[in-house]
Amino acid sequence: MGVPFETLLPYGVMLGMFAFSAAAVGGLRNMQNGGKRARRGIDAWDQYDASAMTSSLVLTPGVVMERDRRLTGFVRGQTDKPEAPKGFETNNPWRVETRYM
Amino acid sequence: MASRQPRFTQQVLIDTTPLPDDIPKVKELGASSAPLLSASFFIGARCKAYNDDYMMCKTEANGRGEFECMKEGRKVTRCAASVIKDINETCLAEFRTHWQCLENHNQQLWNCRSEERKLNKCVFNKLKLEKTIPGTPEGEQQIHTRVKNTFATH
Repeated sequence: MGVPFETLLPYGVMLGMFAFSAAAVGGLRNMQNGGKRARRGIDAWDQYDASAMTSSLVLTPGVVMERDRRLTGFVRGQTDKPEAPKGFETNNPWRVETRYM
Repeated sequence: MASRQPRFTQQVLIDTTPLPDDIPKVKELGASSAPLLSASFFIGARCKAYNDDYMMCKTEANGRGEFECMKEGRKVTRCAASVIKDINETCLAEFRTHWQCLENHNQQLWNCRSEERKLNKCVFNKLKLEKTIPGTPEGEQQIHTRVKNTFATH
C-alpha cells in the first residue's frame, strides 16, 4: 500500500514556509545592502552603526562606512570621484555632551 | 575644548563653519572606501614621500600635529587625489571592475586577484606605478603576483 499524497501535504507546507522565510530574509538583506553582498567581520574602524551616532555605549564609532555614507548618502554606496562633493569638509559629526550643544 | 574628555556623548554636533580664509583651501578626497582600497598601493607608490613627511611631522609635533602639520596634510590629500584622478582617466574600466569586485567580496583583496592583475598591469603600463607590498621578505614572491589562489571563491 502506498502512502496517500494527503499525508505529505503538511510537509510541503512546512518546506514552503522555510523557503518563503529564506527568500524574504535574503531579499531584505539584499535591499539593505543596495543589491550587494553584505559585509561581514567588520571591525570598529570600518563599521557603520546608526546607534553609534547617538549611543554612549560605543566608544569608537565606525569611521570608514560613516565616511562612505557622508560621501554618497548611503552606507554601502561607493564613489570613485577624486574630489568630494561640496559641503563634505564641514559635515563631519562631533560627538558631544548634550550641554555643549 | 575642555581639558576633560567628554563622557555622555549622546548627541552629535555638525559644525558647518568653514575653515578661516588664512588657511589655504584644499578639496577633500572624494573616493569612498572600496576605490580607496583598490588604489591604495598606487597611492603609496606615488605619495610615499608626502605620507612619510606628514607622519614624521605629526610625531615631532607632540600632539599638536593637527594644527602644525596642515601644510603637509594638504600635500597628502592633493597627492592621493591626483592618483585617483589619473587612474580614473587612464584605467577607469579596470579600476571600476576591481573595486566593484572588492565591494561585493567584503573588501578582501585576496578574493579579487584576477581583476587586480588587470588593474595592476594597466596602471603600471600607463602610469608607471607598481604595486609593491612593503615589508615583504627579501626574495619572497609578492602575494598579489601568485597566479594560484587556494582560498579565493572565484
